[in-house]
Amino acid sequence: MALFRLKLNRSKYLLLLFLPALVYYILFKYVPMFGILISFKDYNPFKGIWQSDWVGLRYYSMFFHSPDFPKLLRNTVLLGVYKVVFGFPAPIVLALLLNEVRKGIVKRLVQSISYLPHFISNVVVVSMLFLFLSPTSGLVNHVVEWMGYSSINFMQNENYFRTLYILSEIWQHIGWETIIYLAALSAIDPQLYEAATVDGASRWHQLRHITVPGIMPAIVILFILNIGHVLDIGFEKVLLMLNPSIYSTADVLSTYVFRTGIQAMNYSYGTAIDLFTSVVNLLFILTANWISRKTSETSLW
Amino acid sequence: MGASVVLGACSNNNNEASPSPSASASTSASAGASASAAPAELTPQTFTFLNYSNPSWPYDANWKIWSYIKEKTGVTLDIQLPAGNLLEDAISLAIAGGDMPDIMWTQEKRLADKFGQQGALVNILDYVDDMPNFKAWMAKYPAETQNMLSSDGKMYEFPNQGLGESNRRTWMYREDVFKKLNLSTPKTWDELYETLKKLKAEYPESYPLTVRNGLRYFEDFAAGFGVSAPVDAQRASAYLDGATGEWKYAPVQPAYKDMLVYFNKFYKEGLIPKDFLTIDTKMWQDIVSTNRAFVTLDYIGRIDFYNSALRKDNPDFSMNFMAPPAGPSGLQKNAFTAVTEEGFMISSKSKKIKDIVKFIDFFYSDEGHELVSWGKEGDTVSGDSFIEKYTDISDLRKKTGLSTDGTYTWFDFNAHISVSSPELKSAYEQAPQFDNAKTSTPPFTPEEQQVLSTKGDSLNSHRDENFAKFIMGTRSFDTWDKFVEEQKKLGYEEILEIYKKSGRARESGREVSNKRNKQ
Repeated sequence: MALFRLKLNRSKYLLLLFLPALVYYILFKYVPMFGILISFKDYNPFKGIWQSDWVGLRYYSMFFHSPDFPKLLRNTVLLGVYKVVFGFPAPIVLALLLNEVRKGIVKRLVQSISYLPHFISNVVVVSMLFLFLSPTSGLVNHVVEWMGYSSINFMQNENYFRTLYILSEIWQHIGWETIIYLAALSAIDPQLYEAATVDGASRWHQLRHITVPGIMPAIVILFILNIGHVLDIGFEKVLLMLNPSIYSTADVLSTYVFRTGIQAMNYSYGTAIDLFTSVVNLLFILTANWISRKTSETSLW
Repeated sequence: MGASVVLGACSNNNNEASPSPSASASTSASAGASASAAPAELTPQTFTFLNYSNPSWPYDANWKIWSYIKEKTGVTLDIQLPAGNLLEDAISLAIAGGDMPDIMWTQEKRLADKFGQQGALVNILDYVDDMPNFKAWMAKYPAETQNMLSSDGKMYEFPNQGLGESNRRTWMYREDVFKKLNLSTPKTWDELYETLKKLKAEYPESYPLTVRNGLRYFEDFAAGFGVSAPVDAQRASAYLDGATGEWKYAPVQPAYKDMLVYFNKFYKEGLIPKDFLTIDTKMWQDIVSTNRAFVTLDYIGRIDFYNSALRKDNPDFSMNFMAPPAGPSGLQKNAFTAVTEEGFMISSKSKKIKDIVKFIDFFYSDEGHELVSWGKEGDTVSGDSFIEKYTDISDLRKKTGLSTDGTYTWFDFNAHISVSSPELKSAYEQAPQFDNAKTSTPPFTPEEQQVLSTKGDSLNSHRDENFAKFIMGTRSFDTWDKFVEEQKKLGYEEILEIYKKSGRARESGREVSNKRNKQ
């Protein structure tokens, strides 16, 4: 007991710093979790959560039997996987490239410019897509026509949706996401590079044997965290891009929940689908963590 | 009018047990038929009111309409506006939080039905005896009254009449361009096709027929083909067939295919924009105002919107009413869109229900009708015209608050017509002759509503996706039968059965109440 009090006393400032985060998680993450109850109930806002009638797994089975279920799951998983496959390495590559730039001013300029899109709202990004890619007045299609091809109806073609979504996603976030890697890079001991230079290692060798291993723990941790969000597709951006001609590739779980759960006020149904999404995400993150623990020393826990 | 003000000023008898309905009925009778009395028993009091603020005429506490209402009824409305302007969310939050305002405004009846059946709203029919003006109004407008009933036979939202007219949509065309090219307005869809082609030949950069909102206005286009039904994500495309009186499912009708074939031709030849599914309001306005569209379909008030804005730079610019082109079977119709579902709802938890219904009863009196439409004699209106010259309806709304959300229920649309340009006035006169039969969606039970919104969603997204594909030519019309089969598999018959059942239930309800009225 005395020991505990001593420890508490010693780390009181650290605990004080931790307090806001704790309050945030309890207030905004743990307390609302109680609300998942409504996915097992026929939720009536007037009666309240407790008084609503239990319906068991009715909304879950309704969702799994919906004719749209396979399509929605496929679209969501594919979009999520593409996002990890193409979106995850992009900031690493940019960070490594920036690391090789010698002129500080160039490096800082590139960094600032690549950060900027992160602060543009999705609404603006999507309307930029519409403007640039419009088949009637878009800049891109002017170039396409100038090269002798007929204009392409980018936003109304289901085959372009995933590409456009992922590319714009990378453009938006690449700069922002390099920050953490640049921080990891700066933590690598410069003596290692000096020693390597003395031993005659080329820049390529230095990159392979010092830089990449140096930031590997950061890469693994971020990868695992990213895997945990495979099914969390940024809802507003898809919704903004969505139109009837691309439903077959663009309609994802979150847009479906928005239409049938929120707009049509089937709150229980929407909650059931969201809980399902979270469970799948949890399975993904557990698997990734397990594999990582088996094959390397780095893992979340 | 003066008499009722005096009555309102010395109304201190409200605290005696609630006044009997017969007493208030007799006061209104004594005041005469032309100007039935305001609910003079009301003392000055305040109701909380969750209202909507339209971005085009944002709520203003200083609008004259609020002081007029207070003057006549003694009521001050303590107005709350929904966070982020999301009225639907604000209402469900208020209900879930248990802290409901006394009165709430809704834009959609389905919201009133849903929350009403859950117990959050007052069944208005329980208080009819406290509302002599409303009682008389219901006898005068039986259809409007019936359409506001919920599937359990109760009424959770006050019915409205008059302002629905502002939601009327119609075909419009560029009269000046047609004159210049010596074109006459198309009488049929074939003529429409030929006319659009001529326009395209003359203006290669144009998309002669441009509308906004994706597939939404197919409800209007389809009227000429006799299959006008809503095409939006939330509603099934069911329509009441005039010939048989039965509910039918529009997208599987051969006539629907005929219409899509026209649009496929339009698309291929560049008569509609390539990105027609993603044309939003701003893009549509840009295209129309830069002389790249010559035929369009939209809310009738857009005639003035374009003319007043664009004549400054181009005095010849003239957007005008166009009669709908007739479909293959000779039907020359517009969808009937002159309705609004907006109205007041009362919280079942309010402690002032009796006073609130009396307050709202005022809106159903001739005096209330006059007041919310025209404002106050000598202040805003003189005889049957406004004193100030307003450039258009939104100018009138922004300056006075008249006909903004939460200020009306029974409305005299002549007030709007009086501020319209001669073109728009004549459009209002011509448009009704092309009206499709007036139908309204029957009320659904919560279970039916759930089927409609979940199974219906799969059906609707499949419908929209394939309409788009047929028009863009990525799906061949040879596979039409297969499309019908797919729609069947997704359950359009079940959806249709729900419409038929609720339609029948409403019909029988109507007969019962007719009998009751006769007794």
